Amino acid sequence: MKLVQFASITKKMALAAVGLFLLVFLPVHMGINLCILREDGGEWYRNACHFMGTNYIVKIFEMVLMATILLHIGVAIVLTIENWMARPVRYKVVSKSKTHFMSRYMIWTGGIIGCFLILHFINFYFVKLDIVEGKYTAEIEEVDSFFQQKAKKMQSGELGEKEQAVLVAQYQALSQLPEGKLDKSGKSLVNLSKEEVKKYCGEDFEAEPDFYTMCKEFFKNKYYSLIYLLCFVALAFHLMHAINSLAQTFGLNHSKYNKVIENFAIGFAIIVPLGFALIPIAILFLGF
Amino acid sequence: MNLTLKIWRQDNAKSKGRFQTYKVTEISPETSFLEMLDILNEGLVDKVEHPVCFDNDCREGICGMCGLYINGRPHGCDDGVTTCQLHMRKFKDGDVITIEPWRARPFPIIRDLVVDRSAFDKIIQEGGYVSVTTGGVPDGNAIPIPKKQADQAMDSASCIGCGACVASCKNASAMLFVGAKVSQLALLPQGKPEAALRVQAMVAKMDALGFGNCTNTYACEAECPKEIKRSNIARMNREFLCAKTCSEE
Repeated sequence: MKLVQFASITKKMALAAVGLFLLVFLPVHMGINLCILREDGGEWYRNACHFMGTNYIVKIFEMVLMATILLHIGVAIVLTIENWMARPVRYKVVSKSKTHFMSRYMIWTGGIIGCFLILHFINFYFVKLDIVEGKYTAEIEEVDSFFQQKAKKMQSGELGEKEQAVLVAQYQALSQLPEGKLDKSGKSLVNLSKEEVKKYCGEDFEAEPDFYTMCKEFFKNKYYSLIYLLCFVALAFHLMHAINSLAQTFGLNHSKYNKVIENFAIGFAIIVPLGFALIPIAILFLGF
Repeated sequence: MNLTLKIWRQDNAKSKGRFQTYKVTEISPETSFLEMLDILNEGLVDKVEHPVCFDNDCREGICGMCGLYINGRPHGCDDGVTTCQLHMRKFKDGDVITIEPWRARPFPIIRDLVVDRSAFDKIIQEGGYVSVTTGGVPDGNAIPIPKKQADQAMDSASCIGCGACVASCKNASAMLFVGAKVSQLALLPQGKPEAALRVQAMVAKMDALGFGNCTNTYACEAECPKEIKRSNIARMNREFLCAKTCSEE
């Protein structure tokens, strides 16, 4: 009566192992997110996003992360269906047995986190993959060298009339740059729509997503922020049991260190989601 | 005490069951739960009705035969006792008590509140023992065992196989039972030679019988009448991991 023919403990250990990987990733993501709260006009955050989006090791890590998320969800669903199948007739009276905090609701808190991930991917990751349109940023230096290359071609007569007109228009547009399109340091163009990328940087310029501006725009919407905060409450509950459960699954249960694991679980489950939650709270209520 | 009982009645494994309501009157608070059901059954027999079937044997809390799901808890509202050791003083006059059989796919209902728990025997048959050749009785002190370890093994061995762990688990998982049976031998030197084979065989049988997967809710630990600890499950997980990664078996 098993959906996947591995031993139950093997499946649980697989779930726990990938869970541990995701657990390690969370503080990294939180650390990058907290850069938003620096009052530098998003320079640190954009640099971090640039690094995460262009570094080859990070790109490999990203693929592993995606596989890990899918595996975690897949194994959790298989285990849950098998568990439902193990009790085809349910009790009339709801169980009054004492259980570990939130352990009964792991699949539901996990489901909320899964829904959040879909929303998160649509809003941010799909922009990176160029499936959804977002806001874009471009370093002035890169725009300039791109422009210079085209200007050289124009001087040597390689460009047609139409392309020349576009280049002149770009020069004029850049010289009359409206407010809010330059970052605080003056090194990057920010908050650009796809049309504006074409206008200021050139037709075939590859601009990076401006996650800083997008984050700020999203979190200024109080309904979006509320959904985000609720999802992180679900994450906190999920983590609170997950860390204890992970240790138990790998056989780490001893009176000498059980209390340490319990306290670490509580600390981690509060601090990490709170770190993420600080960003909408700061943007919405403290006017960052 | 006057009580209303809502009891699951089912003629056999294949028939459809239903809840039937009975009234019992003038029950002494000192009566045990099973004695209260005896009184109900005497009344039913007097009225030429089928008595309610339920499992029981020693009525001393050591055999593991009795097992009823009473008001949402296996073995009822008292901690660390079997159904036979539950007394009516734990209830109030006028209470409505819902009694259900253990619910799990590997525990099919035989009749009313009696379930077939031979699935546990099948798991034990897969390795819950120590193979010994016959011969002279070995000297009791030939293999030194630290007292603490012997006590731990004894604690694990106190499992009576009643099935309350499966009944209380939201996933109908038998991990506490199998964990205790693996642990009682894993803790002792006599169990070591077959340890790797044992844990793999018993877990495979547990899975094949259709028990659910453990999600570490620890309801089993809370409801175990012998207060078997969850550390037994962790020990089994360790044994399983070692067997899979380090053993030749």
